[in-house]
Amino acid sequence: MDIRKTKIQDVNLFEFADFDELKSEHIAAPRYSYWKSVWRTFFRNKFTVAVAVLLLLIIGFALIQPMYSGYSPIDTPNINTPEMKFQQPSAQHIFGTDHVGNEVFDAVWAGARNSIIISFVCTALNMLIGIPIGALWGFSKKMDRWMIEVYNIISNIPFLLLAMILSYVLGAGMQSLIITMTCTEWIFVAYFIRTQVMIIRDREYNMASKCLGTRTWTMIIKNILPYLISVIMTYVSRQIPSLISYEVFLSYMGLGLGTTNASLGRTISLYTSYMTGYPHLFWIPVGVLALISISLYIVGQKLADAADPRTHV
Amino acid sequence: MSAEHTERDVILSVRHVDITFSTGRKKKLTAVKDANFDIYRGETFALVGESGSGKTTLGRAIMRINPCSAGEILFEGKRISGKISREEDRNVIRNIQMIFQDPAASLNERATIEYCVSEGLYNFHLYQDEKDRIAKVDKALQDVGLLPEHKSRYPHEFSGGQRQRVGIARAMIMNPKFIVADEPISALDVSIRAQVLNLMNKLKAERDLTYLFIAHDLSVVRFIADRIAVIHLGEIVEIAESETLFKYPVHPYTVSLLSTVPMPDPVVERTRKHIVYDPSVLDQSGAPRSMRELRPGHFILATDAELEGYEKRIEALEAIRAKKDSQEELK
Repeated sequence: MDIRKTKIQDVNLFEFADFDELKSEHIAAPRYSYWKSVWRTFFRNKFTVAVAVLLLLIIGFALIQPMYSGYSPIDTPNINTPEMKFQQPSAQHIFGTDHVGNEVFDAVWAGARNSIIISFVCTALNMLIGIPIGALWGFSKKMDRWMIEVYNIISNIPFLLLAMILSYVLGAGMQSLIITMTCTEWIFVAYFIRTQVMIIRDREYNMASKCLGTRTWTMIIKNILPYLISVIMTYVSRQIPSLISYEVFLSYMGLGLGTTNASLGRTISLYTSYMTGYPHLFWIPVGVLALISISLYIVGQKLADAADPRTHV
Repeated sequence: MSAEHTERDVILSVRHVDITFSTGRKKKLTAVKDANFDIYRGETFALVGESGSGKTTLGRAIMRINPCSAGEILFEGKRISGKISREEDRNVIRNIQMIFQDPAASLNERATIEYCVSEGLYNFHLYQDEKDRIAKVDKALQDVGLLPEHKSRYPHEFSGGQRQRVGIARAMIMNPKFIVADEPISALDVSIRAQVLNLMNKLKAERDLTYLFIAHDLSVVRFIADRIAVIHLGEIVEIAESETLFKYPVHPYTVSLLSTVPMPDPVVERTRKHIVYDPSVLDQSGAPRSMRELRPGHFILATDAELEGYEKRIEALEAIRAKKDSQEELK
């Protein structure tokens, strides 16, 4: 049927539709909120949630259990009771007992507590120092010229040598270990941030901010760092486990915490000699260490993924 | 400059500006060579050229993103290129604003529209209190046809045209006198280009603005510009009033550039010939070229020898035009 030939039977059936220009500007989609979307993406994955719960349980347990056990490596009440030594794991001794008759369970959690505290404090310090310096470093070409030389010098100092010297100078202990693991490590964070800032520094929206007279610090806080949340999270999620293993490594080498402090590294190093006769003494602390590192890494990575807005759709 | 033009109020003048970039140890790339022109208050001055001709570089030099390696840029008679005092710098930022080419790239994706638009207000503290700031943002959004409810949205939620209007609102909230519009519509969908152009014209009339409009699309330029400068490989080859340039294009590059404009008429379009620019027709003797005034307000880059040829060409064009006009009258 040709539409031009049809006659409109009843004009009253039709009316003029009005067109409102402002109405067409309306956005119907629900409001977007960055952090809400981050959490929604994070909690969408059941496996991630399970690992996160496990991680929280481990950390909580490591922080609380030593308060009740009051474990100290120099406290050896059962050293003269041979039947208390080298017990296999059982209902009474969950992780068994060690060569001086102490509970391995207490030793492991007290060590885990110190390792976790040290790695979290060191990571926080490294980030607090490294991110602002790195952001400025990436922005300022003048600063880049001399900072790159500082970086070259510091990154060429052998870490183990530095740790040895510092432990002789400062003595063993939690404070000196934290100083050892932050005094050079921050520059690697700063260098990483510098590169990231340089990538997005000259993007057009930053040029627009410059044309509006925005200061460098405001630009770093409002334009640069929000874009880097996800890469910073990835960095943190790698840094925390790696600092735990650093602590273990240094304590294993005798450069970390002193004999008075419980430490996973010292515990592992002490128990290594009984590995053939009583393998549980070695494998249980190593297993706990692996569990902490891996779950921290997984949760950190998933959080970093969720912080990337490209995953929010 | 001719007598009638000196009477007009010059807002921005570009004086013999060179812009070079170093591309390695002793190598230099000259992006803009001896750019020299005035922009009058209240006009739309278009800078037209192909990709890589240096038009954006020149726009950015006016925004002081790229430094000039020679010459100077004056805004209201004061030098703004090179080192200037902090106070001057703040003054220039408030008076010269830019509209960017790519609305997707020029807005901070992690900030709300409210922050994007009030960024300039924050930097210069151009508000009494929070309520005043919100009111100003609302007003700026409404001026570009957006809604106050958009304040809490993020740039990625908007269409290209809406985003470009946010970019315009962000520049306009500073109450500038001069706007550098760097291809403001070339990244937009064809269907909304006219909307943005009309908006720019409306704002210009309301606020007494002056535009430097950078473009490669001549049909757009004809619609919006009062005067046009054609730039080729970093050199401005011809400056003329918009209608003059379209009626009497003289420089061979301008002629070939105009021949690329598509016509929305199938009969004309079929007969349209694309003239390829051939620089060998220019004077190859190596004589120095400079800007010459061919007709009042119509400038061309030429050597002495070339100028004669151009003079003949414009006379021929004028004769054809006069003949056509008299024929029209007879009809």
